[in-house]
Amino acid sequence: MGTNLNPNNEQRKTGMQVLKELKEEHKKSDSGLGRAHFNNRVALGVLWGATGVTIGLLAIILIYVSYHGLSVVLQDFPRFIFTWPEGVNAEGGIWPTIIATLYSTGLAMGIATPIAVLAAVYLAEYAKQGKIVKTIRFAADSLASVPSIVMGLFGLAFFVETLGIPLSMLAASLGLSLLMLPIIMRATEEAIRAVPRYIRWGSYGMGATKWQTVSRVVIPTATPRIITGLILALARAIGETAVVFLTMGIAINLPIVPTDSGRSMSVHLYLMAVEGINLPSAYGTAFLLLLIILILNLSARWISKRYSRIEGA
Amino acid sequence: MPNSDGTVKHLNKDGHPKRFAPCRQACKLAMPVLATLLLMAAFILSGLLTGCRGAAFESTIVVSGSTTLLPIAEVAAQEFQEAHPEYNVLVSGMGTSAGIEAVGLSGTADVGMASRDLRGDELEMDLLEIPVAYDGIAVIVHPSNPVSDLTVEQVRDIFAGNITNWSEVGGEDLPVVIVNRDEASGTRSAFASAVMEDELFEVNSVVLPGTGQVREVVARTPEAIGYISVGFVEPRHVNTIVKALSLNGVEATDENIIDGTYPVSRALHFLTSGVPTGTPLEYIEFVLSEQVQLGAVIDAGFLPVTEQDLAEFRHALGEDN
Amino acid sequence: MSEDKNIESVEAGKEGLRTDANPSKKTLTHTPSVAMREFAETAAQREKPPEVRPATKLQLVSRSTQIKEAALASLFFICAFLAVLGVALIFAFVAFRAFPLVTEIGLWDFLTGTTWSVAEGTFGAVPFMLGSLVVVGGSLVIGVPLAVLTAIFMSEVATPRANSIIRPAVELLAGVPSVVVGFFGVVVVVPLVSALVGGAGFGPLTAWIVLSIMIMPTITTLSEDALNSIPMGIREASYAMGATKWQTIWKVVIPAAKIGIIDAAILGMGRAIGETMAVLMVVGNAPQIFAGISAPISTMTSQIVLEMGYSSGTHRTALFGLAAILSLISMSLVLTVRLVSRDQHKKRKKVKKGGVA
Repeated sequence: MGTNLNPNNEQRKTGMQVLKELKEEHKKSDSGLGRAHFNNRVALGVLWGATGVTIGLLAIILIYVSYHGLSVVLQDFPRFIFTWPEGVNAEGGIWPTIIATLYSTGLAMGIATPIAVLAAVYLAEYAKQGKIVKTIRFAADSLASVPSIVMGLFGLAFFVETLGIPLSMLAASLGLSLLMLPIIMRATEEAIRAVPRYIRWGSYGMGATKWQTVSRVVIPTATPRIITGLILALARAIGETAVVFLTMGIAINLPIVPTDSGRSMSVHLYLMAVEGINLPSAYGTAFLLLLIILILNLSARWISKRYSRIEGA
Repeated sequence: MPNSDGTVKHLNKDGHPKRFAPCRQACKLAMPVLATLLLMAAFILSGLLTGCRGAAFESTIVVSGSTTLLPIAEVAAQEFQEAHPEYNVLVSGMGTSAGIEAVGLSGTADVGMASRDLRGDELEMDLLEIPVAYDGIAVIVHPSNPVSDLTVEQVRDIFAGNITNWSEVGGEDLPVVIVNRDEASGTRSAFASAVMEDELFEVNSVVLPGTGQVREVVARTPEAIGYISVGFVEPRHVNTIVKALSLNGVEATDENIIDGTYPVSRALHFLTSGVPTGTPLEYIEFVLSEQVQLGAVIDAGFLPVTEQDLAEFRHALGEDN
Repeated sequence: MSEDKNIESVEAGKEGLRTDANPSKKTLTHTPSVAMREFAETAAQREKPPEVRPATKLQLVSRSTQIKEAALASLFFICAFLAVLGVALIFAFVAFRAFPLVTEIGLWDFLTGTTWSVAEGTFGAVPFMLGSLVVVGGSLVIGVPLAVLTAIFMSEVATPRANSIIRPAVELLAGVPSVVVGFFGVVVVVPLVSALVGGAGFGPLTAWIVLSIMIMPTITTLSEDALNSIPMGIREASYAMGATKWQTIWKVVIPAAKIGIIDAAILGMGRAIGETMAVLMVVGNAPQIFAGISAPISTMTSQIVLEMGYSSGTHRTALFGLAAILSLISMSLVLTVRLVSRDQHKKRKKVKKGGVA
């Protein structure tokens, strides 16, 4: 039912109020509770500190990369984004790597989305709880937990070496789609399960068939959440390096057909970082990569927030 | 609009039956996003169906192999295509071994790139080795390190872990930190065959996958020793400094590397199955031309080929014609 | 405002129905409410006397619709089954490629060998298994307390306003690609560690720092979910007995959410074991047994990336062997989580029965 998705605000408010009252009461009768209060204060301080460290780390990474990357990107502004890397040290822009990244992740999404969404529809709407569902869900969980390097290794050995697909966008996106499949599947299933039952009953009650109910009532209602899941999966795939490194080839190339090889932004960043010859390019790439992922994350948040506000959940 | 949001919330909390009208707004804003994403995928998939890239080019050649040579081959390919738009050169770096296999066995590549000599079975593949650049490998230390000359034996002992303190070779009393390259590296195998002989590398050494990182770590760590291509000793995009040691008293200068007196150098080769003809030949000749030799080759930190190499290449071509 | 639109849409829907007998052929752009009304119309039309079929069985939908429904159901099933197939294929293929180990190296020699030397042709997996263990263990020691404390802060202490900043930040941190974190590790953490403990700066200590950054968001998010799912009534009961906030957290909330937090830690561990690029860039990649926090070591994942490109023959088989070990570990972690959460469900039921009035 997805009830634990929405923390119960009303209950919490009551808790807060109770707490406030308690605090006041304690202030009035502060006698033998000194030690407990001291512990309380220390412990809460530790909690503050830990959260500070976590948020601080994020801030440091973001600020450091942005500080160094922004100046690279802003130098003759669109040049870094829209020009080719030139010469042996990849000076200039990173245009082909941006295209290769979007190409492979877009293709991967084209492959993974229909399968994952339909699979989730099956799990949430059609399947009877039992062995088959358990197996499928376990498989999806396992697929989600397979380390990306194993996925890359599999992609290289199976798609490239066994099926004969060249090191290319296609090979990389097949690998990436395996990575995205469980993420989209889970998001879609949760989205569908979060659709209140009575809506379905209403539909069935009016004589709609299962498919009519699913396609016209359930999926449209769940769409914003599904899209949120899609965007997060896309963000994950854009940052993925290990799979792409082993299956796309690493030469800089502007891909046109899916069997073209290329170098993604993440791989470009890795190579620039370890080659260490052209650190400015590495900073610029890292910044753009972060920016894309930031935008995707924020838009996912925006959609889900807007949706939940509208739904009043 | 802002009003309607508030109203909507209110309605929902009361469990008002008109819950679905606002949902349509959500769908409406979500649909364009979905549409854009799917369009992106469709655009790419349509490329698969309609795009027949071969039609646009007269001929395509595939170059693959060592990542050491990758930058040269790539830049040369770009310049070559600018001069001959009808040709398409695809360059990919998969490592020397894979490149040799692609040219010699599977035939999936027209030109291979090798940063080490052929060995074992590879010698029987009837491959023509064409030197396209020379590379010396400099042994580098921190600029503050008082040691400036080592014998090849001393270097071997250091990298094999037999010498573990700089005082044993006339330096300060500091433990040696070995910075090594990964096993896939052509630099490492060239260094191993020139210096290490039968000794194995000490296991307790930092293994880094890139030249620049080796340089950067050595420049930062006073007790470190590493090896990189001579062309990267001088700072390029960075302002850190490393010191190249002379080996057996010979400095790693261009002349010493080309005439072979500097003990750790190697030739970088293109490989073709038999004698090259047609477009691959044109590409190779382009790589051997002054434009690339004095441009990309030097930019990449390597040394150009000699007149003698060119003469031998022409000889190999002429002899078989 | 939306009322009017609905009425319009319903009118449109009626129009549509008259021309189109099969409603499912229409586009999906209708909103659910409209769709529902449409179906009501459909049903109403079907009930009209001339349209009632002379069938012996009560049949609300036509035969072709039934067939279509069945076909769609099986299409969905096939899609769902693709996930199973994918996993099976990955595991089978990795196992298949790793299998020659048994004859070429010997399973026991591979699992207990302490030397990995491509030049000599000896392939022992111990340095990498131990390396992964050291790196993952250390990062859990740093990452889990920080993450769980942050989660407790978010769920128990922070105001909704603070949470509106912290939560997106944590989610964003979860989205930072590992290669960016690795890059940050190379340019910031490695020199820092080098300055603090000497040496080149590559090794377990650096990897711990970098990896704990990577796993913290995962553990934080999942732990917070676990804490939030604890009924408010339990906390209120504790406060009512005069407990301080920390006493409530320590004695009541954490024990209740314990299993959820353990789950989160296990999943974080899975992420850490599979983490590749960030580790590869900072761990030093020396195939040696753990020799101190600043001595370079290597892990299973980093070794695969580093050597896959040029490997062949037995070497490649050995790398697939490492991948097989990784897959087995991640699979067993999933199984562990499933077993643990099964217990949790049982407990949760008890808690719900006893805890909430």
